[in-house]
Amino acid sequence: MSEKTPAVVVDQASKWYDQVIGLNDVSLAIDGGVTGVLGPNGAGKSTLFKLLMGRLKPSQGSIRLFGEDPWVNPAPYRRIGYVSESERMYDWMTALDFVSTLARLHGMTREEAIDRAEHVLEFVGLSDVQNKELGKYSKGMRQRVKIAHALVHDPDLIILDEPLHGCDPIARTSIMSVIRELGSQGKTVLVSSHILEEIERITEQIVILNEGRLLALGNLHAIRGLLDKHPHRILLTCEDPRKLARKFIAEDPVYGVRFPNEGQLEIQTNDLSAAHKILPRVISDSGVSVEAIDNPDDNLEALLGYLIGRTS
Amino acid sequence: MDEKGRTLAQSVWTRMDRKAGAITELTIRQLRHRVSTWVVLSVGALVMALLLAFYIDGIRDEFEPIDNDGDSEDWDNDGYPRGQEDKYGTSDWDGDAYPGSGYYVRTGEIDWNDDDRIHSGNQTWDGSGFLESEWIDVDYTGNRWSGIVDWSQVDTCPEGDATEDWWIDWGSACVYDDGSYFVSGKFKASGTVNVPRNSYMEWGIFTVEEYVEPEPASMYIDEDGIDWNGIDVNDIGVEIDDDGDCLAIQNDDNGNGIPCDVIWILDADGDEIIEIRADYNVNEDPAESEFEGEMVHRTFIIGTGKMAFVMMLGIFIPLFLALGLIRDETENETLHYLLSKPIHRAEFILYRLLGYLLLTGTYILVLVLIMAFITSLIAPGDSIVRLSDYPVWLGVGFATILVLAAYGALYNTIGLIAPKYGVYFCIILGIWEFIMGLFTMTLPSATVPMLSVSHWALQLIDAIVLIAWPDTLQYSQIADAFNLESGLQFFWQPPVHTLETQSPVVALLVSSTVLIMITLLMMAIGQSSFKNREIM
Repeated sequence: MSEKTPAVVVDQASKWYDQVIGLNDVSLAIDGGVTGVLGPNGAGKSTLFKLLMGRLKPSQGSIRLFGEDPWVNPAPYRRIGYVSESERMYDWMTALDFVSTLARLHGMTREEAIDRAEHVLEFVGLSDVQNKELGKYSKGMRQRVKIAHALVHDPDLIILDEPLHGCDPIARTSIMSVIRELGSQGKTVLVSSHILEEIERITEQIVILNEGRLLALGNLHAIRGLLDKHPHRILLTCEDPRKLARKFIAEDPVYGVRFPNEGQLEIQTNDLSAAHKILPRVISDSGVSVEAIDNPDDNLEALLGYLIGRTS
Repeated sequence: MDEKGRTLAQSVWTRMDRKAGAITELTIRQLRHRVSTWVVLSVGALVMALLLAFYIDGIRDEFEPIDNDGDSEDWDNDGYPRGQEDKYGTSDWDGDAYPGSGYYVRTGEIDWNDDDRIHSGNQTWDGSGFLESEWIDVDYTGNRWSGIVDWSQVDTCPEGDATEDWWIDWGSACVYDDGSYFVSGKFKASGTVNVPRNSYMEWGIFTVEEYVEPEPASMYIDEDGIDWNGIDVNDIGVEIDDDGDCLAIQNDDNGNGIPCDVIWILDADGDEIIEIRADYNVNEDPAESEFEGEMVHRTFIIGTGKMAFVMMLGIFIPLFLALGLIRDETENETLHYLLSKPIHRAEFILYRLLGYLLLTGTYILVLVLIMAFITSLIAPGDSIVRLSDYPVWLGVGFATILVLAAYGALYNTIGLIAPKYGVYFCIILGIWEFIMGLFTMTLPSATVPMLSVSHWALQLIDAIVLIAWPDTLQYSQIADAFNLESGLQFFWQPPVHTLETQSPVVALLVSSTVLIMITLLMMAIGQSSFKNREIM
């Protein structure tokens, strides 16, 4: 096996459960850096991950991890760390126990395993509570223990299925920084989410799945750029929407305004970047105090709607 | 190759000691954290404690001499035990017949068709007729006889001819005006008897009673033992009927022309007794301390080994501990932690079963050694600790562990294939195994029980018993030949799977091999099923 073998190669893989299609003819190759796998619930993210983890056998096509078929051979898992979406753990174990026991399944000795477990628990910021039983952990802490367990053997590929799901903002921030750190260490990281904003804060490289199909693969900004040329809305919450509207309507990127609610102004534009560029100047010129700026279209649903609209 | 210079091929089925250690340890810790584990193991220990209590009670009883042939009893309460009455030819069902008691001797009779129908004398009479008496023993109670004439209630005889116009009850008399009687029954009198044509009368005398010293009942307990010492079969002498109860009637049940003897038949090597043909009433009451104590002790060990260890613990422990080895991980959604490691699924099942077996095997071994230690202290025999029992107990442990492995692999596979209804299959299977175990004990050479795991485990115990205590065959035959009460023949029979060598070692190897093969086969089926299983 050459060292250039990509970490993940999915080749025209499909998976269907009886009549239901879980994944439909998906091809992708990923190697290096953090890649966000985006898609609404039921898009096929979990199916893709289960195929990668050898839990499911592709109905068609092939899956290769470091050149090996994970359904046939679990060998690549020595280089892979996996964080499942399931929240269940061995609650009677302490975090140190949990991580070190599972580390030993990689063939480490007990001492090595404990040593490595302490190291990764420190990395995810849990070393002070590592001897507490998992049953007493908060959701965010459990999620971090799961991440620690996936990192304990220093893997080259880390797969995280909805790692931010259900976490409080502090845990989210901490997990996100862990993931970014892994990416900066040169590891290949696959992280799934159904929330665009989450992924955006972690990575620019994304894969978008919808209804089992691969919709887009590439740089988030490039995909967004496509989106920018599409009618787009900016929602401003301010004291005097009508005064502000008069200023905006004179600007070039803006082609329409609306007042959806009391104290709100909606700007319609065809060029989101240009609109955002003029936004600070127009607001300060108008002298109107603005409380909030929102991009109601800047979410996964809007992105998907746009992508589906284009592809259909 | 990764940065550590290893190819991926080096990650599966490698460092098995470490991975196996980790999964084994995890499995044991998981089992330890389940209440059902503790309940099952405690129930097992409790059963053993109960059995021990029965054993201690039983062994103490057996050391008191037992009258195996019942001849120490005095059934008719005449002060003489049956054995003594048998010797004197008196009945033990008649309190008036006892050694030395007087007995009736008939001296004459008037039959239905005799011509001379009158007889005179001082006699004991029995029949019907007219009596002119000089003396009547009105207190005569006739001892063991029925139909004694009751002289305290004698009515006047009716009009007409006796025996034609009227009749009186047997055991009564009536009186005529002249003082003569018509009598029917038994009585003692001096006088002349006139017997009517259609009647019968006999007479005789009672012998003089002499006093015979009653023998103590204990004389008839353990009074006819086995003269052979039970150790060296070359040393079997001639068995004699010590209490003479066979010699009195000269039984020759084995048909060799010699009354009251025992024929011992040895196997081809001449070192084991395989059959004993004894004449009836020879060696029928041996001393308990010689044979029965030992027999009860062995029966207990074999019975406990088979029923409690193999058929109870062997079947139930896997039902609670092995069925969910993989299934529970799937249900708890924790399986992915274990499978997202460079471990082959087949490897995983193997380690999982190893963990289960390590926990249950240790438990069985500890339990067996405790049982061995306690029973070897209490057991009959001269030595303080009977070391010869330990191989048998360890054999029981070995058989049970093989059973736990076979059922463990089987139940785990069933749990994998049928996660929902597997437990019902396993219960049905457990019942089947239990019944086949019982069949194996009673009909060891029957074919159908060979389709069960328990059959091979019980055969394994039979083989180990014969290896550790070669004379068990003798005990079994002795119990059989001399009608000694013992469960030995129920719980133990010589092993059948000796490939016609009659060697218990061969039987041991055959049974162990079959059990190990079943385990491996079941594990392989589980592994192949698991390998192709999609995990949602």
